[in-house]
Amino acid sequence: MASARAFSVPRTTVVAITVLVIFMPIGLIFWQSLLNAPFFNPHHYGIDAYEFIFEDPDFWSSFGNSLVISAGMVLIALPLGAALAFLLTRTDLPAQRWIEVLVLIPVFVSPMVLAFGYVVAMGPVGFYSLWAKSLFGDVPWNIYSLASIAIIAGLTHVPHVYLYSSAALKSLGSDVEEAARVAGANPLQVALNVSLPMTMPALFYAAVLVFFLGFELFGLPLVLGDPEGHLVLSTYLFKLTNKLGTPSYHLMAAVAVCIVAVTFPLVLLQRWLLKTAGKYVSVKGKATRQKLLPLGGWKWVALGLVTLWLFFTIVVPLSGIALRAFVEQWGEGINLSEVLTLDNFRGVFDQPEQVRAIINTLVIGVIGGALAVACYTAIGLAGHRQRGGVARILDYIVLIPRAIPGLLAGLAFLWIFLFVPGLKELRNSIFSVWLAYTVVWLAYGMRLISSSLLQIGPELEESARTVGASGRRVLTDVTIPLIRFGLLASWLLVFMIFEREYSTGVYLLTQGTEVIGSMLVSLWGAGAIDQVAALSLINIALVAVGLAVALRFGVRLHED
Amino acid sequence: MKTESKRQLVVEDLHLSYGTNPILKGVSMTLHPGEVVALLGASGSGKTTLLRSVAGLEQPYQGKISIGDTVLYDSAAGVDLPVEKRSLGLVFQSYALWPHKTVFENVAYGLRLRGTSASEIETRVNEALRNLGLGALAARLPHQLSGGQQQRVAIARALVYNPPVVLMDEPLSNLDAKLREEARAWLRELIVRLHLSALVVTHDQTEAMAMADKILLLNAGRIEQQGTPEELYSRPQTQFTAEFMGSNNHLPGKVAQLVDGRAMLEGEGWRLWGMARGDLKQGDAATGIIRLERTQIANGASENRVRTELVTGMFLGDRRENLFKLGGLRLRCYGTTPASGECWLELPRDALWVFPAAA
Repeated sequence: MASARAFSVPRTTVVAITVLVIFMPIGLIFWQSLLNAPFFNPHHYGIDAYEFIFEDPDFWSSFGNSLVISAGMVLIALPLGAALAFLLTRTDLPAQRWIEVLVLIPVFVSPMVLAFGYVVAMGPVGFYSLWAKSLFGDVPWNIYSLASIAIIAGLTHVPHVYLYSSAALKSLGSDVEEAARVAGANPLQVALNVSLPMTMPALFYAAVLVFFLGFELFGLPLVLGDPEGHLVLSTYLFKLTNKLGTPSYHLMAAVAVCIVAVTFPLVLLQRWLLKTAGKYVSVKGKATRQKLLPLGGWKWVALGLVTLWLFFTIVVPLSGIALRAFVEQWGEGINLSEVLTLDNFRGVFDQPEQVRAIINTLVIGVIGGALAVACYTAIGLAGHRQRGGVARILDYIVLIPRAIPGLLAGLAFLWIFLFVPGLKELRNSIFSVWLAYTVVWLAYGMRLISSSLLQIGPELEESARTVGASGRRVLTDVTIPLIRFGLLASWLLVFMIFEREYSTGVYLLTQGTEVIGSMLVSLWGAGAIDQVAALSLINIALVAVGLAVALRFGVRLHED
Repeated sequence: MKTESKRQLVVEDLHLSYGTNPILKGVSMTLHPGEVVALLGASGSGKTTLLRSVAGLEQPYQGKISIGDTVLYDSAAGVDLPVEKRSLGLVFQSYALWPHKTVFENVAYGLRLRGTSASEIETRVNEALRNLGLGALAARLPHQLSGGQQQRVAIARALVYNPPVVLMDEPLSNLDAKLREEARAWLRELIVRLHLSALVVTHDQTEAMAMADKILLLNAGRIEQQGTPEELYSRPQTQFTAEFMGSNNHLPGKVAQLVDGRAMLEGEGWRLWGMARGDLKQGDAATGIIRLERTQIANGASENRVRTELVTGMFLGDRRENLFKLGGLRLRCYGTTPASGECWLELPRDALWVFPAAA
């Protein structure tokens, strides 16, 4: 292909760098897992690390907890998400516009922040707990139990299911439903015999996604599982260091490989499901105006349930944080008006590393986000309109980072920066965090870019070629100008994702690489509740700014 | 006669609007049993809306729809039967086959909803599939079928529970041009063979004429003209109908004389007699319209002939089309042999309609 030749050098470079940044960390983890000691110490090959963790009962109990939590999340999020999608796309539920916006908030708020919010709102001495106690004489819940973790995780993952099922319901041509009505089916029969089976692939996809996210869960079980000692795989990995007191990198790597062994097949399954789901789209009808199902009096019941869910997943944790950020201390018998203060924020701004964390978080979101989008675009263009093997390889390898939880990716990048000659200088700069973030969110970013690229009809580029533009000129004169709004939207979304990210930076945290997310994990570990509250609120504010801009400019908040 | 009127579809003074935008402005029509009525019109004329209103998929605000004694919709009586209770057959333009059901299950669904026994479903679905030449495809999924096969499944699905009227929304528009002509003949044959009553929406006048016993030409939410295909084609009451139904030559001019329903149209260097249509007065601007196939090359000067000059000729396979120049006007006509130079064209006066020029 002529265009392939014209692009050979830049394309090869892009592909080579992509392969390198993806395979270096994952390769390092695999290699380390097969050593009997950290790779920078004297070592020999063997499966000692695996033997050790497989004999550790804690490993198996955390594996079991991960399974229970993931399954619980699917059981809670799937029916609720599907029902929410049905209510918002097919019925005359009131206040739909508002709900559609609010539903997305849990997706963009850091799980670490949410978890902290639940502790200060509903923990043993949380605001809501004490109010409940004054009403009922006792706190009727315990948020530190395994079931509570699963319920909270399930409820906060309802939006993921909602997004996929509502997209499926919206793309479902109304003609197939009308055909069933004409054939004699009442609305309920239409929903059960046509709409539900046709959205089944999307629901199944969402179920796999939620299960997968359950396995990756870190912030929620770290904060909520700690008091009663409930470990999941990611927190087990995180606590391994404390357990032995020495850097047990080989053990961590072995746990990491075990996690990837579960998540990678799930990622491949998701991809396969997405492809097979496309089969149903081939027989697509004309989109006519959808007649909304009148709920009658039930609409207030439905609205009440949705409001209750929104209250629990958004209002409770966020109001908890907002309150906690402005009080000196909180506990039983304390009068709210007497402890109001701005000291928590003064405390944050007095600490240079916390000020750096805020600045770094902004820099990594705004500038780093733009650079990441530029990288994703370069990779997207390298595979754009290419039919050869390179495009197919790119297509698959960008999925690999999706299977590696951020915590592990951060760890792998730490090793790379520590031990690859010439990179040590960069280790103490925000660049190391940016690189890890960019690789961790590669699959997400690529989907944003490719959905923009897919919207360009090939004939627009072909006509530029026929009037005499080279492959490079087509990119700069036609392709990139046409996707520029898509790129701006991607920048905004990547900004929010980078503001929210916390686990990837945990192992990279050192002087100079502080970001709010990893600072929260570290401060939480040190018990600095006041500063966690203040930083959490600042983090929420940053995400809220991104969300407000996105809503103002009508950016689609979901890549599908 | 009594059984006849039992299944007669009657639409009376139907009004429908989307918000403040009126789509149907009072449409009335009758479909007799065993008859095929075509709803013809340009896009936006309301033809599909009318069909969907009969099916119950659109919400009119005034009028009445009934089949025999069954009232489907009556604004005055507050009757609005839900879609599934109307028991009509509808063939969607996109076919709207359910992708997760096999061909057999697609067709059987209507019977299942009616509580038909399994053995009878088996018999009737297989009969319907055989009738449509789909016998061997029962176990396939829709995406494994060609466009033509999908269309036939959609028809089988709409017929299997013997609806009193079958509604078809552009049934042929998703087929290739070549396939479409064959499918047209096949569909007409099927309708006649099974004695179906069908209401067919189409935007193609040839299709409408070929398939229908009666055509309703819709224009901006009103019926412009209705009648047999011959009536609409050969005796159009309005310029819109004349234009819509065939290929024409246009002669803008002025009415010079009016004598018993005939008008003399006068232009630059020509005068022609034609049939006066609509409200014409002497001296009015008017347009002469004549079908291409009625315009003929003649061998010399005579009444209702004009002297023209050949611009170019096109070979179309079964005939030729010639383009002539008459001052600033262009006239087309068919012929079998190549024409050349100056020609006399005859525009027979009973084939030339003179319509008042649009205001």
